[in-house]
Amino acid sequence: MAGNGTILAGFLAPHPPHLVYGENPERNIPRSKGGWEMLRWAYGNCREKIKALKPDVIVVHSPHWQTIVGHHFLHVPKLKGLSVDPIFPHLFQYRYDMDVDMELADACYEEATAEGLLAKKMNNPNFRVDYGTIVSLHMLNPDWDIPVLGISANNSPYFYSTRVGQDEMIKLGRATARAIQKTGRRAVLAASNTLSHFHFDREPDLPEDMSKEHILTNEQYQWDMRLLALMRGGKTEEIMGILPEFIDKTAAEVKAGSFAWMMAAMEFPKVPAKVHGYWTVIGTGNAVVEWDLAQSAVAAGGR
Amino acid sequence: MASGSIIAGYLVPGLPHLAFSEKLGGWKELAKAYSDAGARAKKAKPDVFVVYSSQWISVLGHSFQTKPTLQGSHVDENWYEFGELPYSIKIASTLGEKMAEKAKSKQLATKLVNFEGFPIDTGTIVSQRFFNPDGAVPVGVVSCNVYANYADSQKLGEATAEAVRESGLNAIAIACTGMSGRYFTKDIKPSEDRISDAKDDEWNRRILDLAGSGKNKQVIESSSDFAAQTMADMGFKAFSWLMGVLGDPDRKANVLGYGPIWGTGDAVVEYAA
Repeated sequence: MAGNGTILAGFLAPHPPHLVYGENPERNIPRSKGGWEMLRWAYGNCREKIKALKPDVIVVHSPHWQTIVGHHFLHVPKLKGLSVDPIFPHLFQYRYDMDVDMELADACYEEATAEGLLAKKMNNPNFRVDYGTIVSLHMLNPDWDIPVLGISANNSPYFYSTRVGQDEMIKLGRATARAIQKTGRRAVLAASNTLSHFHFDREPDLPEDMSKEHILTNEQYQWDMRLLALMRGGKTEEIMGILPEFIDKTAAEVKAGSFAWMMAAMEFPKVPAKVHGYWTVIGTGNAVVEWDLAQSAVAAGGR
Repeated sequence: MASGSIIAGYLVPGLPHLAFSEKLGGWKELAKAYSDAGARAKKAKPDVFVVYSSQWISVLGHSFQTKPTLQGSHVDENWYEFGELPYSIKIASTLGEKMAEKAKSKQLATKLVNFEGFPIDTGTIVSQRFFNPDGAVPVGVVSCNVYANYADSQKLGEATAEAVRESGLNAIAIACTGMSGRYFTKDIKPSEDRISDAKDDEWNRRILDLAGSGKNKQVIESSSDFAAQTMADMGFKAFSWLMGVLGDPDRKANVLGYGPIWGTGDAVVEYAA
């Protein structure tokens, strides 16, 4: 019902193409012998959860759609094509076919503009959707039977400062939440980013050779664990406070703003997050984490 | 052994604005300088172009394009409003393999790229629109490794030159890169464009002056500082690659054009034979 929308859940949904490659879905051309199961199984839990929630839309913010001028929203009813990862083309050649929630895109555009942000609607049907968006969406819902909305990562954290950038993303999150509420959508959010992001610059001959997979440094592992402990404790404010230091110390991909956007959209939830799994991909730290707002609303007597 | 040569080298911008200059009514001087550079290059009748594009980013070492034909219509992820860029590029696959082999022999990590649907970067496409609009000349294309330093980038250029020489080809090298990289982050009219920061402008001009007087070593030595101060495009590593290819640190550059693109600094620079 219009005007009564809600965010059901938010997921930290990292996007290494390795996860799709390890799974061998029909849509992806390269074949593997598996790999990165800890993360793929974690995503498996989320898939079940999302099916049960029956959302109208999955909204994803991706660091790999980088825009310089403004925050952009996918705005073509159907986007279809072959997405080849420019960094790992041998792992990810994926045939995507997605339905975009146009009404929500319009509403997000309006609300972002009202928030004082520069917003744009991407309406070229030949636009190649970035692999970050696709990997997160595939891992959450490989059936692609739920409409989606992709949001770009504006480059402000890199052009100005982490703080300025995160503030922009917080505004974008508020705008997204209002758009969801006004359009009556039951939405799931996905922040498409890893945690620590230093990585190996060489790949084993067999990419899925798990004997070669481990975190690049213990320092970044400790940082990841610190973040996850705070997430599990529902200490969102504390996380937001240390985010800039985390970014500095670990080159964390949260710098691109996806996490801050999602937290702001969910009003910085104090609900303990559920960590479905953590593992590394080519040395980076990745966690699949869920904030179940629907359940916490029920526990609190509904809202 | 066959003996090819590097006929000339160019440093050119890779932003799509120049390809849409006429339609958008801006950036005309830079676009004209780019067209002039393309015409001069064509006159030299190269067998092949070798291109390093700052917009083709790699992290597992350097990637080399080896798919024989690249064809399609490109939509830029930022500037899609301007329109699409149709392209048809003939790749010098054997040369690409040789470039990778030579780079590997210099202890650089390499990967060959031959995939249907691989996303060709805007810079490579824009450079070909000005230098090779009919796609008649084959092209060797190498990526910009995010983690390479200036010395490695130069080494990569040397490897490229060795591959060209041993292949018996006459090549023109194109380093596709911006200079200062501080964009305007709002919409502007083309007529409002300027270098967004006066200090960036000073830096760009200092770099171009050094290149113009053949002090290319000094440019390389200043690149790290230049990048830190002006957010230069991918650290301005493309210049080090170009110097590696040319192997002539004292050669004087001819600056054919310099100006802003959406606040960034961009130049069309020629190192003639």
